[in-house]
Amino acid sequence: MTEDILTTLKILIIGESGVGKSSLLLRFTDDTFDPEIGATIGVDFKVKTLAVDGNRAKLAIWDTAGQERFRTLTPSYYRGAQGVILVYDVTRRETFAKLDNWLNELDTYCTRNDLVKMLVGNKIDKEDHELEREEGLKFARKHSMLFIEASAKTRDGVQCAFEELVEKILQTPGLWESVNKTRGVALSELSETGQGGCGAYCSLL
Amino acid sequence: MSSFVTEVLASSGKLEKDDLACKISKLSRKVEETKEEVTDMINKKYVEFMPSMEGAEELLDQVESVSKDIDLLKSCIENEVQQNLHDAVTEYAKLKQQLEKNTAVIDLLQHLQEFDTAIEEYHRALQEKNFVVAAKQHGKARASVDALKAWKDTELPLVHSLSSEITIQRENLIYHLGEEWQKLAVWKLPSTKTELTSEKSFLKTALHLNRGGSKGDESVPHALLPSILQALSIQGELHKKIKLFGQVLFKYMLKPLILYPSLVVEVSSQPEQGAVLSLQCTETKAEHPDPSQVYTKVLTVLKTLHEHLFVIEVSPVTAKVSEILGDLIWEEMSECIIRECLVHSIPANSSQLAEYSEVIKQTEDFESSLKEMGYLAGDSTDLLKYARNINCHFASKKCQDVIVAARKLMTSEMHNTVKITPEYKLSIPKLPNPSGGEKERKESSKKSAHYDQQSLENEKQLSPNTLCLPMCRISESVQQLMELAIQTLSEVVGSSPQCAVQLFYTVRNIFHLFFYVVPTYHKDNFLKLPHLAAIQHNNCMFIAHHLLTLGFQFKPHLPLKDGVAYFVDLVPGFRRLGARCFVAQMNVQKAEMLERLSTARNFSNLDDEDNYSVASKAIRQVIHQLRRLGKVWQDVLPVNIYCKAIGTLLNTAISELINKIMMLEDISNVDGERLRTLCQTIIEEGPLVFNPLPDENKNKKYQEEVPVYVKKWMTLKEISMVLNANLQEIVDRWAEGKGPLAAEFSCNEMKSLIRALFKNTERRAAALAKITK
Repeated sequence: MTEDILTTLKILIIGESGVGKSSLLLRFTDDTFDPEIGATIGVDFKVKTLAVDGNRAKLAIWDTAGQERFRTLTPSYYRGAQGVILVYDVTRRETFAKLDNWLNELDTYCTRNDLVKMLVGNKIDKEDHELEREEGLKFARKHSMLFIEASAKTRDGVQCAFEELVEKILQTPGLWESVNKTRGVALSELSETGQGGCGAYCSLL
Repeated sequence: MSSFVTEVLASSGKLEKDDLACKISKLSRKVEETKEEVTDMINKKYVEFMPSMEGAEELLDQVESVSKDIDLLKSCIENEVQQNLHDAVTEYAKLKQQLEKNTAVIDLLQHLQEFDTAIEEYHRALQEKNFVVAAKQHGKARASVDALKAWKDTELPLVHSLSSEITIQRENLIYHLGEEWQKLAVWKLPSTKTELTSEKSFLKTALHLNRGGSKGDESVPHALLPSILQALSIQGELHKKIKLFGQVLFKYMLKPLILYPSLVVEVSSQPEQGAVLSLQCTETKAEHPDPSQVYTKVLTVLKTLHEHLFVIEVSPVTAKVSEILGDLIWEEMSECIIRECLVHSIPANSSQLAEYSEVIKQTEDFESSLKEMGYLAGDSTDLLKYARNINCHFASKKCQDVIVAARKLMTSEMHNTVKITPEYKLSIPKLPNPSGGEKERKESSKKSAHYDQQSLENEKQLSPNTLCLPMCRISESVQQLMELAIQTLSEVVGSSPQCAVQLFYTVRNIFHLFFYVVPTYHKDNFLKLPHLAAIQHNNCMFIAHHLLTLGFQFKPHLPLKDGVAYFVDLVPGFRRLGARCFVAQMNVQKAEMLERLSTARNFSNLDDEDNYSVASKAIRQVIHQLRRLGKVWQDVLPVNIYCKAIGTLLNTAISELINKIMMLEDISNVDGERLRTLCQTIIEEGPLVFNPLPDENKNKKYQEEVPVYVKKWMTLKEISMVLNANLQEIVDRWAEGKGPLAAEFSCNEMKSLIRALFKNTERRAAALAKITK
């Protein structure tokens, strides 16, 4: 039933190797969790339809490889991305420290500067968090990103994350309408930068 | 009125009277004056003038008579006296002539007499074998004849016969002298028929030096030899004779002695007879004669000659003789010594340079002995100069040797390889402090045999592997070449500035030589053998890498302006060389690969068994080629270059396959299946050709990175997926231009592929409509 589909949105999942990107995607699309999931080689792709606010949107989700050696491949996949999920592992501080690099890369390669960014702190099911929610929130606010903490293993926050993201994208005028804005870098007026990420997040605890 | 006139008339009469009185008085006065004047005049004329005139007339007469006398005298002289004078002169002239003639004739007669005496004496002296006197007398006679000849005025037939007699006698004298000379120095020579190439042929040479006079003839009053020599010298024949002697001496005795180290000279001396110089052969392994030996041999010969031939009596002539001999043979001999002996004695290392001063000293001694004996006059000659210039010769020889060695390395087999790891360092010998003095230099040159590993690293390091050459294999010969270069540069230490510069530029030439020789010499191999091409690539990179830092250690020892002690300028050239060589090989591989794929009949109609088998075979061959290449280059190329190279080649094959598929207009189900099988073959077996490391377990990592090395990898995977998918799946994966299919294909390409795969239905049309970006 393709008539409902409002639009297709390109979503990217990026982040350091091992933070749980593929697991998040698997949980979202198949509602399963594989503890033995291997490192993504190159890039993985899945399609899923999502209904938000009565609108059905098709999501073309790109799950990229986080390993350093595949870093040369990922830039070509940024083209036309409308939403980006930036993932870090709450139990490993170094994955958080690298977020700046990822944002940098995003800024360099993305063709739209009005795209919606969401920060996801994954693996909250584990003990020994090295990062508190406050920190994540602060970072997200600073960079005008949505923020949520989640766990692919327990299902926590996964659905929410995607829904939030899509909602925000649909709310952003000009970001998803088929009046094409895929011209690459818009040389004319700057579209509104994402408004303050006073995060619409779901807190479960 | 009338009174006036009357007055006038009255006065006029008075006037007339007055006037008359006046006039008369005037007149009388005038007459008186005139009278005086006349008197005066008459007085003058007759009283004064006339006597003087008479006197003058008398004088005139006198003058006339005197002049008459003079004329008389003059004519007298002219006629008589002059005539007498003239006669007297003629007579004296005649007398003089006569006198001269007489003198000339007397002269002539005297010469004749002298001639006669001289010839008589000459004959007598010749009988007595008193050659000196004979020669002298002959000389006198000759002088007489010459004097006679100089008398140009008459052509006396006498003179002709005299001169012919002189000539005959001269020949006679010389003949006798020659005979005597020959008896004194008797040569026994090898026959001229045999070629004088080896030492054996010279063994027969012997020189007998006789004292002169036959056995038992002790009553020879005069020492024969000096007299012969003197006589020859007086006759001007000495030079010729000595020259001949010298030539034979040099050719048959001295030169072989110099040339062949196995020949030695033996002197056997008999007390009354003289000495015999003969050549003997001894066993020796030396290839080239040793300078000291040569000098000893030559000195023996010359000393013997000196003693027996030239120094029987110390006289000015004998000194002259050895001088002449020395003059004649010295140049040739010294050249011969230089060429055959000294050249080979030039040391190969600078460490032996110090020892060479011995050879120099030997040469000096040699020369001074020769000077003592009178063979040599003057200051140091070419021989000594040559020996002293040892530094230059050493440098030239060294440079030549180095270049020859380098060329040999470059044209040798390149297959033997050596593994280079990032920890590899060039071993530079420990160099002395350049500001050190002589002593230190001597010490260090002795120490240079012990190599001290001097690392090229700075003390503070980034990381051990920064800027290091990655692990790879290079030819052994190249490593040796590098060592040769360093060795040569080390020779710079302690060399004279000129030699240092020469050596430095020789090293530069080594690399220039490599640049030109190796690609040309091994050209075919580089194209034929991928293994060798990879090694050559590594060789060039290895050299370039080390050239970056080579040279600066030697800078303080090189007296070059602007500190041009580097090789950095050669680096880009070498990198290009290596890259070019490797790229050429890549092109060969690429061509081969495309050729194989061209046999696949464009991958069309694969439902036909034959087509399929051909296509399948093509794909297999390609993979096989890559696998083979992967094995050949394993452990040879650095890992990153290996992966890049194999990846590029695999990419070529994949691109070709993709292009061919995209060109197909109709792909049936079977076609699609089979195409997919082919794609999957590549997808599964492609990564397996990546084996950069010999350890199998470590290669998995690189096999995973295939998408990084092969640009079209994702495209191939997508195509493979599409070949197996239904319309919905394709549309989903296209995702309105946001899916991976949209990343790999353009709208038109996608549509054309869909059209080829699916029958023309509404569904297809609907799907096609969705293919937008």
